[in-house]
Amino acid sequence: MNRGVEEERARIPMSQRPEWADIRPVPQYDGPNPVVPIAYTDEFSETMDYFRAVYLADERSPRALQLTKEAIFLNSGNYTVWQFRRLILDALNVDLHEELHFVDQITKDNSKNYQIWHHRRWVAEKLGTQIASKELEFTREIFSQDAKNYHAWSHRQWVLQALGGWENELAYCDELLEDDIFNNSAWNQRYFVVTRSPLLGGLEVMRDSEVAFAIKAILAKPENESPWRYLHGLYKNDVNSLVNDPRVASVCLDVLLDKRDCVHALNMVLDLLSHHHQPSNELKDAVDAVSPDPKPSDSNFAERVCSILQLVDPIRASYWRWRKTSIPAQD
Amino acid sequence: MEDQEYWESDPELLDFDRDRHIYYLLMMYQLLPSPYQGQEINRLTLAYFVISGLDILRALDRIDKEAVINWVLSLQAHPRNDSTLEKGQFYGFHGSRSSQFQSNNNGAAILNGSHLASTYCALAILKTVGYDLSLIDSELLLKSMKDLQQPDGCFMPIHTGGETDLRFVFCAAAICSMLGNWNGMDREKAKEYIVNCQSYDGGFGLIPGSESHGGATYCAVASLKLMGFIEEDLLSKKASCHIINVPLLLDWSLQKQAQDGGFQGRANKPTDTCYAFWVGGVLRILGADTFINESALRGFLSTCQSETSN
Repeated sequence: MNRGVEEERARIPMSQRPEWADIRPVPQYDGPNPVVPIAYTDEFSETMDYFRAVYLADERSPRALQLTKEAIFLNSGNYTVWQFRRLILDALNVDLHEELHFVDQITKDNSKNYQIWHHRRWVAEKLGTQIASKELEFTREIFSQDAKNYHAWSHRQWVLQALGGWENELAYCDELLEDDIFNNSAWNQRYFVVTRSPLLGGLEVMRDSEVAFAIKAILAKPENESPWRYLHGLYKNDVNSLVNDPRVASVCLDVLLDKRDCVHALNMVLDLLSHHHQPSNELKDAVDAVSPDPKPSDSNFAERVCSILQLVDPIRASYWRWRKTSIPAQD
Repeated sequence: MEDQEYWESDPELLDFDRDRHIYYLLMMYQLLPSPYQGQEINRLTLAYFVISGLDILRALDRIDKEAVINWVLSLQAHPRNDSTLEKGQFYGFHGSRSSQFQSNNNGAAILNGSHLASTYCALAILKTVGYDLSLIDSELLLKSMKDLQQPDGCFMPIHTGGETDLRFVFCAAAICSMLGNWNGMDREKAKEYIVNCQSYDGGFGLIPGSESHGGATYCAVASLKLMGFIEEDLLSKKASCHIINVPLLLDWSLQKQAQDGGFQGRANKPTDTCYAFWVGGVLRILGADTFINESALRGFLSTCQSETSN
């Protein structure tokens, strides 16, 4: 764990620090025959022995605060230390902007640690709406290193809902998808904004333009699972509208005619057929054209789609074979 | 009741280095190297991985089960005395000594830092080594666990506060299931929360609105199964399930098997061995594990096995 400036200075054992001379460290009692014992370093043992001492004495002082920082550097997942740090922050009425700065620093090297993000949320909640844009900016920085960091996305969603800042969120999704159209986290965030932003009017209002957006992404990279799922998701709880939107069958046709990677297109066609979509002859011909030889001979079109999927997506052959058995009766 | 050892009977497992895996796990059982000190708080979870690993490898006879039982039981949280039950505290198991404090005369410090995930691991370990779970003092555990449940049905892991998400719903459901007692949670509320976590693409996120994720999906589906809201082998029985979108979940889950044979945790992300468990587990629960391309998966998993020189 990166300790910044302190890394350069050799660590002075706590037993040699005059400001800690009055404290008797409390060793860990592991009991007889401990299982999976850890080979603690001296630094770790000593720091935790002193932590135990101040914790048991409930000492909520500046030196205890500093000690929690050292303990966190050694074990950033220790929720007991974090909890005690919060008690001290409250007791000392510490400027939480400073605390946020501390969290900024340690998050950079520990961006997937639950306790750090939880602490961040605790601080941000106390600071309130004034901190919303800083929090959005911070997660943006994290995404510049890892655009799919799950913790950062959870935090960003929480900030939007609890503290606000929705104004530029859809534009931010645009930006991320321009960087990487395969970024499923950005697609998910898009759905989040479109369905929950108080500024946009909700899914039904947004659906039309979002369908256009998804189709554009599909045509650019038809092998990309994300926009297909997104398109389908725009019609959540309203599958009849999916089936009746001519643009959906149309994008399947366009992809198949182009003979590009077509598994998702065929899967979408199958989905439409399962909901009683009547395929055009053009679509049927395009489907048959992408099939490798020997061409399946199922007379039922939906079954034929399943057979073709077995050939073009062999890793899931047994699934596509099973899908045949659950096709509703065609007219 | 032992069938022929799987590593002996299956030709595709010839390169599975069982002995070396056992040796590795036993090494960890004896002593975890210093870099693990950053995982100190979760020692019990690490013990669970070691012990269940040895169990799967049919090598549990190599450890001292009595010692394991005693150590795990020593991590259980008990109230200081019968008459002063600190209200709101969860009396589960600690993950390690670092959240468990010896009694002192100063009443201020919270001595009990027991945690929901540690409790799940503790019970799972005890069950694995054959301990009779009815011997566990579970009434207080379950009653205090219910206090960790939130109004939206989710669970907090510890009474002093912490992040709430599907992981802890799963822990709670697994705990109730292992103890055979559902007083520890409101199942209906938990079900509502889980349902709200199903994403537009069929998978589940850790909290409502989050991206579908293999681990979260496992927690969701396993919890629903344990709580009795999904039938066993749903798909083979052609049973229907109305609370979640099963066809979409199935399609999402199967699509996570990538061309290299491994499973992804999220769309367009790299494959990882852990998702063979999380997503594989989902498919198993649904009765759809037959759709997994097993030889492709095995091929992937063997590339993840450490190479050893002969």
